[in-house]
Amino acid sequence: MSSAESTVKTKSLRQAMAGLHTWGGLLPSWLLFVILFGGSIACFDKELEVWMRPALHPVGETTLSLDQVSAWVQKQAPKPPHAIWMRPPDERQPYWYAGYEPQNELEPFVSFTLDPQTGEVLPKTLGGNFWFTLHYNLFGGMLGMYIVAIAGMFMLVALVSGIIIHRRIFKDFFTLRPDANGQRAWLDAHNLFGVVGLPFHLLIAYTGLAIFVTFYMPAGLKVGYKGDIEKMFYEVQGQFGREELKRKTDHAASIDKLVLDAKRRWAASGEGGTETGWISVHHPGDKAAVVDIRRYDRSRVVDFQWIMSYDATTGAFLHEQKPYKPGYTAYAWLTNVHMAQFGGAIVRWLYLGLGLMGCAMVVGGLQVWLRKREAKGGWGIGFVRAMNGAVIGGLPIASLGLLYGNRLIPPNVALRDHWEAYTFIAVWIAVALWAVARRNSGRVGRDLFAVAAVWALGLPALDVLTGQPGALSAAIARGDWRVPGIDLAVFAAGLLCAKMAWWPRVATPAPEKARSKKRERRELVEEGV
Amino acid sequence: MSNAISTKTGAKAWSSSPGLATASRIVAAIFAGYGLAYASTMFLTVYLPLVRSDRVVFASLASFIVYLAAIVYTFAARSASRAWLVLVGLSVVLAVAALVAGDFGARR
Repeated sequence: MSSAESTVKTKSLRQAMAGLHTWGGLLPSWLLFVILFGGSIACFDKELEVWMRPALHPVGETTLSLDQVSAWVQKQAPKPPHAIWMRPPDERQPYWYAGYEPQNELEPFVSFTLDPQTGEVLPKTLGGNFWFTLHYNLFGGMLGMYIVAIAGMFMLVALVSGIIIHRRIFKDFFTLRPDANGQRAWLDAHNLFGVVGLPFHLLIAYTGLAIFVTFYMPAGLKVGYKGDIEKMFYEVQGQFGREELKRKTDHAASIDKLVLDAKRRWAASGEGGTETGWISVHHPGDKAAVVDIRRYDRSRVVDFQWIMSYDATTGAFLHEQKPYKPGYTAYAWLTNVHMAQFGGAIVRWLYLGLGLMGCAMVVGGLQVWLRKREAKGGWGIGFVRAMNGAVIGGLPIASLGLLYGNRLIPPNVALRDHWEAYTFIAVWIAVALWAVARRNSGRVGRDLFAVAAVWALGLPALDVLTGQPGALSAAIARGDWRVPGIDLAVFAAGLLCAKMAWWPRVATPAPEKARSKKRERRELVEEGV
Repeated sequence: MSNAISTKTGAKAWSSSPGLATASRIVAAIFAGYGLAYASTMFLTVYLPLVRSDRVVFASLASFIVYLAAIVYTFAARSASRAWLVLVGLSVVLAVAALVAGDFGARR
């Protein structure tokens, strides 16, 4: 093959990839922004949950036992439940989280959040889980999960096609020309955020798909296990389970004592600690009831829970979870790398930063698309402008609105969490209408930054005014940064928004330098995107 | 060379031809690409030299990469019909190979 021919070939490949990157990137970009933003915020879901429950400021040691909570949860279920689940308070979740799984598999899990000291049910809130659910299924159940998966696949395609069209990955790492014309500056920003975060973006998109692989790609399960998912999970996870006997019993062993036994067994291994995670009772009240005690080990990525199973009636030790099979260990590693429940605050900050970098990459890409077409005029400009304002401005402002709603809706209002959701939706709709109506004004970005700035800068004040008196300063004095940390982080984001709203950088076109032919050609491909 | 000419027209077809060829590629990427990912998962679930549960996990985890590669290939291929041919052809071969093993009762 001659070199001219190979040039033609690579050039046509690049152009094909440029088309794929442009349109395959544009189409899912607003959806991707929602998923990436939701996921980034969800890194601090438990801290936000605490922020959204001012009754817990400050929080003390729990006075409730597992036996008390277990008895209480069983009383809440109208019919004997399939299983009850309990999570004792820990450092990040300083409250009891407990609920029951109804006998009918189609009915949802019913959960309660209990004050660790009084055992009272805390006022309902969407809590930090809100962003997590938005992230993984957009509140769309199974359908939403598939939509998110499709967006994730688009993200992978956009990343790979982006790499192919982008020859000078290393050099562009150090290239940012904010003073250049709009399109090139945005292209640099898009490249910078895309390239710096590239390993993370690839990993997070891939592992996100991997989590629900059995839904998205059932072929392996069908061929290997004739579709019997329970058989497979039993085989790979090495868990214990047994059928209900349908014979009632009033006697129940003390779960608190069983936990002590489980801790003794874990401690014998000497690593990973003895912190408990979820504790469940399957078929409570039945003669065949089983208590499963799970370990919560943050010291490693794979969350092997080393479940200890006991007979709920006699307290006899039944089974110790076998180690995962190698394949399942790989799967668990991938899913847990995505979920970032290992490690501590540094991991969460890192994921937040990289996730927001992904958001910035999406925004940068949208701006490149716009700037290129704004110069020449073309199809879809108004639509893209409107969507940018409505989604990229709308979601963060609506999220702030949710935090305001959380603190301003009185604690005793019925269906309080619903009212929070209405607040979120109403704010988002208002922003979206504004963005659509003023899409061609050229002012939407700045206006929305101003709104976000005011709300974000006001959040610490809201916390002080609506929280328990003195709670914030007491938390800081204790060195407990969960709640003040959120106030501060949102305040800092508000400062950034204020700068963008009122003192934006004015782009002054730099004099065009003489450029070689080679560079000229490269820009034709990349800027053609 | 005729080859060079055909790649040139291929490149041109992308930028200037009506949407039909592009639409064909999009459909091929989404559906035939998923078909190939599905068939490759079946194949690897049967033939990977591992125990059953590991075969299922690794075959399934690889499926997203196969899908991704199939999508990128579909847009890089010289023509839409060629992309269809390769994706469907490979899928059939892999799926048949997987089903044949099942027919013999092997690796169940």
